[in-house]
Amino acid sequence: MIDFSVYGEQTPHISGWRCQKCGTLYYPAPMVCRKCDSMRDPTTNKGWEEFDLEGPCTLLTWTRVWNLPEGFNKKFLLFGMVEFGNGLRASGRIEMEGDPAIGMKLTAKTIEADERPGKPVKVFVFS
Amino acid sequence: MAPRVGIVGIGHCRFGNSSDYDLVDVIAYSANAAFKDAGGLALRKEVDQVIVGNMASGLFNRETAVASALVSRMDMEPCPAELVENGPASGASAIKMGYMAIASGMADVVLVAAGEVMRAVTGWEATDIVATMAHKEAEYNMGLTLPGFAGMVTRLYMEKYGLTERDLALVAVKDHANGAKNIYSHVQLPVTIDAIADGPSAGVVNNYVAEPLRMYSTCPVTDGSAALILVNMDSPKAKLFKKKPVRIAGIGSATDTHVVHNREDPLVLKAVKISSDRAYKMAGIGPKDISFAELHDAFVIFELMNSEEVGFFERGTSFLAVRNHETDIGGRLPINPSGGLKAKGHPVGGTGVSQVFELVRQLRGEAEEGRQVKDPKYGMAVNFGGFGNNVITTILAKD
Repeated sequence: MIDFSVYGEQTPHISGWRCQKCGTLYYPAPMVCRKCDSMRDPTTNKGWEEFDLEGPCTLLTWTRVWNLPEGFNKKFLLFGMVEFGNGLRASGRIEMEGDPAIGMKLTAKTIEADERPGKPVKVFVFS
Repeated sequence: MAPRVGIVGIGHCRFGNSSDYDLVDVIAYSANAAFKDAGGLALRKEVDQVIVGNMASGLFNRETAVASALVSRMDMEPCPAELVENGPASGASAIKMGYMAIASGMADVVLVAAGEVMRAVTGWEATDIVATMAHKEAEYNMGLTLPGFAGMVTRLYMEKYGLTERDLALVAVKDHANGAKNIYSHVQLPVTIDAIADGPSAGVVNNYVAEPLRMYSTCPVTDGSAALILVNMDSPKAKLFKKKPVRIAGIGSATDTHVVHNREDPLVLKAVKISSDRAYKMAGIGPKDISFAELHDAFVIFELMNSEEVGFFERGTSFLAVRNHETDIGGRLPINPSGGLKAKGHPVGGTGVSQVFELVRQLRGEAEEGRQVKDPKYGMAVNFGGFGNNVITTILAKD
């Protein structure tokens, strides 16, 4: 018997990627390694190691956006760009009271968000 | 040797809210105006190729295959026609493709027309549609928009170089002073530094959009179109047009990482630097030869950063030039004499052609009183696709 069911993840996560041939790290996933030209087949990911991108990070810059796109029923949202200890960077939302500060230490986690129509998407939250 | 390519006809509509009109009619209006400028509408029968620039008519207007529609609307069949999409740089890309069509020998006369009708949707929808050019997984899905990225980059620039919110307002005051004199501008009202930065009500008039960017640091949502007629200056067909050609001296383009956080330094617009270097090389000139420039200022921070990347000012010093009025119409290097995207408006796919329309007007000496640059020789336009990740620089020369 074949089970065609697709089960959702219990805990959402966003992946970083490591080229197993040369060790270069990526986020988001590339289709070819800029250092050694290794190709990534997105259906098998053979030759590439996937890992959770989360945890401690440093805030590089931030903004508070007041004109959010359609579907976001909030007055404003904080967004930031961070750098992880392994050198990878990411952009996402910030959750905190008051103003963030460039250089502050934050922790990255992943949530599922459904402001827009369609399937929920994975979103970085830095707090 | 490639033939010389010149612009012999220009057309433009008043930028603003055209949401009651069909996109194809809006673009056709400017195309007709360009033929009229060049000597008459019968000249459309001399066109060998039509190239249309548009970013997102499928999303804004539920209308596609716009180039085919334009040719038919203008009674130009069986002229070949193609649509070029390169985000907000679709217009400049359309000019580049027109240049290449002539340089390749496949065409002697090309109509380049571009436009966008964005106000057919709400402002929230428009912001979302424009954001679709960001990386789907790493940026768009986060809820990030172009103003959001511009806010983050502006904060970095402030932190590193000492730019202030008042400096951003000074750029807007300068651009709106120019735009107020431009008959094609969306916003035709000048603003004062008191009203948007220094006065007691400034924080209300000039509210935050994406901190530290305020409303007057951001372009309006605009509808509009512009068109150009390109000719092979060395072909017999060039003599059919009554206007002296303004020569395309240089075109350069380049790309950068799609994902903004993957740039080594988010304050470096590498594609602007490379594209302008390529355009300078093709034109055989350097930054000191440029008489004036139209720089893509969807957010005023871009006007400042672009002016540094193309070599007008040292990195981190452009805002000092604005303080010293060096980029005013009467300054040593006028920037955005049209009012720029900030005041003239930014109908995304149409902007690149509108910028070059302004270069031609200035080089012909046809700009309005108080807005004409004195005795210009070379004009430069920088048009952005995405968040600076696909850039086209065009240099025109008055021979």
